[in-house]
Amino acid sequence: MTEDVRGLLAEAGGLYRDSPRAAASLHEAFNHLDEPLRVGITGAPGTGKSTLAAALGETRSLRDLTLVDDPSASVLTDATVRLLRHLEPDELASTHPAARSAFARQTAVDTVLVLARADETGAGRIDALLTAKQLARRAWREDPLCSGAQGVIAVAAQLAYGARAFTDDEFELLAAFAAVPREELERYLLSVDAFTDPAFPGPVSVDTRRSLVSRFGLFGVKLALTLIRTGSDSRVKLSTELVRRSGLGELRDTVAGCFAARAEALKARTAVVRLETVLQNEPRPGSDRLEARVERFAATAHDFTELRLIADIRGGRTALSGEPADEAVRLLGAQGTTPEERLGLDFETDPREVYAAGADAVLRWRHEAERQDRPPAERAAAHVVVRSAEGVLALFA
Amino acid sequence: MTASAWLEVLDETLDACRSHGREDLVQRLRRRRDRPPGATRVAVLGFPKQGKGYLVNAVLNAPVCAVGDAATPAVPVEIGYSAEPAATLVGRGNERVPVPVEKLTGELGARPPGSLRRVEVGVPRELLSAGLVLVDTPAIGDPRSPRTAAALDVLADADAVVLVSDATTPLSEAEVALAHHVRTWCPHVVVALTKIDVCASWRAVAERDRALLAGAGIDSPVLPVSATVRMAAAKAGDQDLNSRSGFPPLLTWIAEQAARPPEHTSAVLAALSVRAATAELVETLRARAELAGQDAGVDQTTLLHRAQRKADELRKRNTRWQNLLADEIGDLQSDAEYDLRERTRKIVETIDETFDKGDPVKVWDEFGPWLDKTLAEAVETNYNFTADRAEWIAQAVAAAFGAQYDLHDLRLGESGAELIADVRQPRIEGFKIGQKLFTGLRGSYGGVLMFGLVTSLAGLPLINPVSLGAGAAFAAKTISDEGGMRLQRRQAVAKMTAQRHVDDVFLRFSKECRDAIRSVQRKLRDHFTGLAEELADQLARERETIIAGSAERERRMVKLRREIERLAGLHQRAGELGVLAGRAPRELPA
Repeated sequence: MTEDVRGLLAEAGGLYRDSPRAAASLHEAFNHLDEPLRVGITGAPGTGKSTLAAALGETRSLRDLTLVDDPSASVLTDATVRLLRHLEPDELASTHPAARSAFARQTAVDTVLVLARADETGAGRIDALLTAKQLARRAWREDPLCSGAQGVIAVAAQLAYGARAFTDDEFELLAAFAAVPREELERYLLSVDAFTDPAFPGPVSVDTRRSLVSRFGLFGVKLALTLIRTGSDSRVKLSTELVRRSGLGELRDTVAGCFAARAEALKARTAVVRLETVLQNEPRPGSDRLEARVERFAATAHDFTELRLIADIRGGRTALSGEPADEAVRLLGAQGTTPEERLGLDFETDPREVYAAGADAVLRWRHEAERQDRPPAERAAAHVVVRSAEGVLALFA
Repeated sequence: MTASAWLEVLDETLDACRSHGREDLVQRLRRRRDRPPGATRVAVLGFPKQGKGYLVNAVLNAPVCAVGDAATPAVPVEIGYSAEPAATLVGRGNERVPVPVEKLTGELGARPPGSLRRVEVGVPRELLSAGLVLVDTPAIGDPRSPRTAAALDVLADADAVVLVSDATTPLSEAEVALAHHVRTWCPHVVVALTKIDVCASWRAVAERDRALLAGAGIDSPVLPVSATVRMAAAKAGDQDLNSRSGFPPLLTWIAEQAARPPEHTSAVLAALSVRAATAELVETLRARAELAGQDAGVDQTTLLHRAQRKADELRKRNTRWQNLLADEIGDLQSDAEYDLRERTRKIVETIDETFDKGDPVKVWDEFGPWLDKTLAEAVETNYNFTADRAEWIAQAVAAAFGAQYDLHDLRLGESGAELIADVRQPRIEGFKIGQKLFTGLRGSYGGVLMFGLVTSLAGLPLINPVSLGAGAAFAAKTISDEGGMRLQRRQAVAKMTAQRHVDDVFLRFSKECRDAIRSVQRKLRDHFTGLAEELADQLARERETIIAGSAERERRMVKLRREIERLAGLHQRAGELGVLAGRAPRELPA
């Protein structure tokens, strides 16, 4: 795919040699094909972009991509994590900028929406994260404004960032607080003011308490205490549990599966969008031939079809659910694009076994795709899965 | 102040709003006027997810409003006093359906959107016992949504407003704008800063909000509160904790609103509503007047200037084309005559040459047709030449008059046809010059003038001595045949006759030619004079229209200005009534 795009860009470069602006734009796109995938973190001020970028950036599985905190319009990015304060129609509508080109619209598989500051949902009650998660899930399934996204995920970035880098002192402190009878501590956990009140019992200084609450938020402190009381009795356990609940893990998996694993396709897409913009802005003899090739490229790039279908299945926009849905998104490459990952096998599996599993998947899904009693949309989805499974077999040819 | 005084001002303003087609303002003022006496209504307003529901519940210490992720109703919820908890759904047609309070949220969710007008809830709360009504409103959002409209509509009969904004971020631009709008309609506004329990930096946010409000000229206090702390305090019966929730000052403020004498409140509210409505009207009228003024300022002068310039241009053009026509016609006159004279002189020379030597009796049969043909050719060439030049002159004059007039407007051809009809056929007896020829010639002359042959003009030679050399041939052929006196006499007679014939044709034809040219001149002159007059008339009319239009605009402006003055008067009177009522509403930027 990358080679195709390189060819396209080279030819366009020749066509636009005399236009410095277009040539520079194409050149940048060409060079970017060899660079790491760039994911922009965007959102209104106060949504916690930098905190999220920092929390995501320390994740091991995302080493091969560059996170760009609040990129300016001129910076080339391949995908976007967009932070929203609320999932209100006004805010969601602002996430739908007029797509730059037909190709960009057709292959819009580059955005994940994040319900930011999830720990503030529902007046910061202990079930705030759960409520936020439900809100996000509901919005992704029901709100047409969310339909284009690869995911709508509730994330408490501050909590996640704090929890990833727990110090032993902090854990000891929290454990000590957790040991205090609940009723005694309760009124000091009502508000930030109460928590940092000089009247707080015990020897812990106001400054220490203030730093704790500013690192994790009042909600984070309360959640940590609850978790310690219910069994997360070591620093690592508590850290893992907090990160899991913060929604960062889900976001990381989505970014890894939908962006990092598709780096080639997304970078190619960025380049082609650039190319199409140039073709639109400065049409000239010969550019129509390139436009036709761009169209062909969009139509044949199976990655984009896979990503769109993954989003549709996960967002509940298909009839698939339960186990078939899980298998479908796996085959489509949501958990990685190697044959083993697609087939849900271990990496050491005997190739013959892998092949057999692939052939089996092709047969079963082909059957699904040809069932006359299913609506056309469902059969079309099954066809895409078949094509993905056939792609696995093709690697053995 | 008497009620009748403000009623009068209110009604007058109502009329003004109606006559300017502001039905929304009419509705609001009417609700102000017809509002039932007694109850004090405090509306709670804010953008979504700011903690409005929690705030109302905390104020009442009762779970009246849906909170959290539950869908909030799209209609206002009016919460008043009742000895037993009660809830009533009020439909579009004012039909009332009582529902159990605890099932309220579910009932609301089951109703189709747009079927309800409002919800009334009664709770046994001390705070409400004096007739206070708290109105929870749908969240403000998209300015075009019905929810936003419903929320803002509540302003029409609210005595006081609690604006809710959370402490996670300072007031947004939209929130400040909302506060400003609310303040123009309602004299008593407080900003409740919610969620201070979870926001460590709420003190800084409160300061920022106060500065923002002061900067926008809004004199509303900012009261930081925490519903969570208040609920906990209520549960524990903890006075100290309650005071930390920030709610006591807010409750005091609300109680103050209820404690105000109702007639006083009505007067102040009426005054303020009139001022808000007139201010909005004046603003639109002023914008319209400004626009009209700009139109008048720019277009008026430009149009008049343009008309003046066109008139000047026309004058200049008139001189130009008249001079051109006179000069060109004079030139053509002399050129055409010279051309014909030259052509006939050559013919006469050939006649002389022929009959100096040749015998007329012998050569005549050949000479006759030759003369016919040569004369015809000379005359035709001269005609062509004249017609072409006439055509060219017409073009040149048209160009001098203005590019927009082309020759199709001239109809030059007709003049030529009329003119040739008078040409008499030459009678040269004995020489048998056929009248056929002249008929053909006439046709061609008419045709030439009729359709024009401009293109050939450039290459047209003045003299075209076609076959003039033929005479020498005739002479050579006949010279030896005769001699003596008889021959000489015959030759003299033949010469004379031929020359006279040529002269005759010349005279006749040059006269016709002159006439034709003059006729062309007259036609062109009449044609372009007519056009020029028409243009001048048109310009004069244009000028009149511009001047009349400006008068009309002026009249409209005066009317607009008078209307603005009238509204400003109402605004002023409302202000005075407000002062009389004991509280001077803030000056409005009207």
